[in-house]
Amino acid sequence: MRPFKVIRPVNEKEAMEQVSEDNASYMAAGTDLLNRIKEHVASPDSVVDLKSLPGMNTIEVTDQGIWIGALVRLSAVSSHADVLSRFPAVCETIIHAATPQIRNMATVGGNLCQKPRCWYLRHEGYSCVKNGGTGCWARDGENEFHGIFDNQICSATQPSNLAPVFVAHEAVIEIASKDGVRELTADQFFIGPASDPLREVSLEEGEFVRRVMLPESTRAGSWAYEEAREKQSFDWAQASVTLLLDRGGRKGDHRVVLGAVSPAPLRRSDIEKKIDGSDDEIAEASGIAGAGATPLSENGYKIPMLKGLIGKAIRSARSRKEG
Amino acid sequence: MVSKNKNPEKDGVSRRSFLQGAGAAAAAAGVARIPETVIAGQNGVATPEVLGPEAESILLKVNGADKKASAPPSTTLLDFLRNDVGVTGPKRVCDRGSCGACTVLLDGQVVDSCSMLAIDAVGKEITTVEGIGTPDNLSRLQKAFIEKDALQCGFCTPGMVVSCTALLEENPKPSRNQIREGLSGNLCRCGTYQNIIEAVEHVSRKGG
Repeated sequence: MRPFKVIRPVNEKEAMEQVSEDNASYMAAGTDLLNRIKEHVASPDSVVDLKSLPGMNTIEVTDQGIWIGALVRLSAVSSHADVLSRFPAVCETIIHAATPQIRNMATVGGNLCQKPRCWYLRHEGYSCVKNGGTGCWARDGENEFHGIFDNQICSATQPSNLAPVFVAHEAVIEIASKDGVRELTADQFFIGPASDPLREVSLEEGEFVRRVMLPESTRAGSWAYEEAREKQSFDWAQASVTLLLDRGGRKGDHRVVLGAVSPAPLRRSDIEKKIDGSDDEIAEASGIAGAGATPLSENGYKIPMLKGLIGKAIRSARSRKEG
Repeated sequence: MVSKNKNPEKDGVSRRSFLQGAGAAAAAAGVARIPETVIAGQNGVATPEVLGPEAESILLKVNGADKKASAPPSTTLLDFLRNDVGVTGPKRVCDRGSCGACTVLLDGQVVDSCSMLAIDAVGKEITTVEGIGTPDNLSRLQKAFIEKDALQCGFCTPGMVVSCTALLEENPKPSRNQIREGLSGNLCRCGTYQNIIEAVEHVSRKGG
């Protein structure tokens, strides 16, 4: 691996100063960054290790919600008793991510900020709109695992398993920035290529995620997470559906967020409206799964896949409620 | 602990990694520096610890023993173990965190040693397959691997043994699905999964 310096800042100001140096990159656990360095698609001269910062490795339970530090490991979130009892969908999505080994290493902040898994983007031989060049190789190339929505500029999908469930729960992303701390909701945090093809999250230069809050007011009456993938482990979803019913005890306040089919998690309020408790809600809701989709040569299968997953999610959430 | 081995002033200890609990080999000179670091951090004065890119002295606790060598801070834990301190149980197969052949325990938890830096393991207990059993003193699980013929080419076996050991430690009576889930980060290209599961069940049946 290409050698680099490791810089361990003692406070946030110092972290931002260090990362503003030429060719520096933040790192948390490094499970994604190290792979990209090995593949020669990232080549930082220095890595600013966020793990040396204090206070970002805790889970804090309050009446308003649960704050999860950006440095908390995925396995520590999914096994946390309060997260499990109050936001079980979050734990379920984590259990589907990667492998036990990676979940013991990878952090929440790193999971949100990992780069897309597009095989062109992760190959040093390809220049595209996402790494400063032009065009999208996948559009007319190998695109079996790419997006079917909002895929004109870049067809890579958002790879974070936490992203859809954070959007569904309207999680608050707390960001350390030069002017102090700022907050974004998860749906503001994840951005598509039209905003900026070089970024998948709205972090400005020098900024990093400090912690994430799951608001108590979005706790689900019932929920489901369904995903399809080729392998049972260490694989990314081909499509996923996060469904929250009657959030905060408000009847009809549902969320349907699709994952792995678009550059940012895709909330589908049209599908939410179809989930009305009627006898044909499954047919109605899953029937419009492909509305607005622009599938590429090899990924049209994702539309029927989504239909199946939406149906499965509704059945699962309804049975959980009754059970 | 990590230190600039070529810089005699800093040799033996780096302030922050000492604070993180590296402990035993702390030199008196290093101890004297601790308050300075703490105060600097509290006052917001920029004093980041900068490691590398040249080799640094890295001290890790592997299978209960101190292992020290000089390596760039960009060295993965796997490469440090195999190439710098000669602990070759963890295998380098995919080097991307997808196969589990490099699995070790870090403070008792399974991790892919290829996907983290060696310096991030400073102060933690690292257990490799060598720490689980020896040829003369195999663990019960290792004996069960032999009895149940749970390997073919054997290249995934060190990682499998580490993962299975962690699984049984956490859950002495795992169901078949829990065993599968526990092993989901370890690939065996020979396809010996069934026999590995039987080996775990064999140990589980016999009780803790």
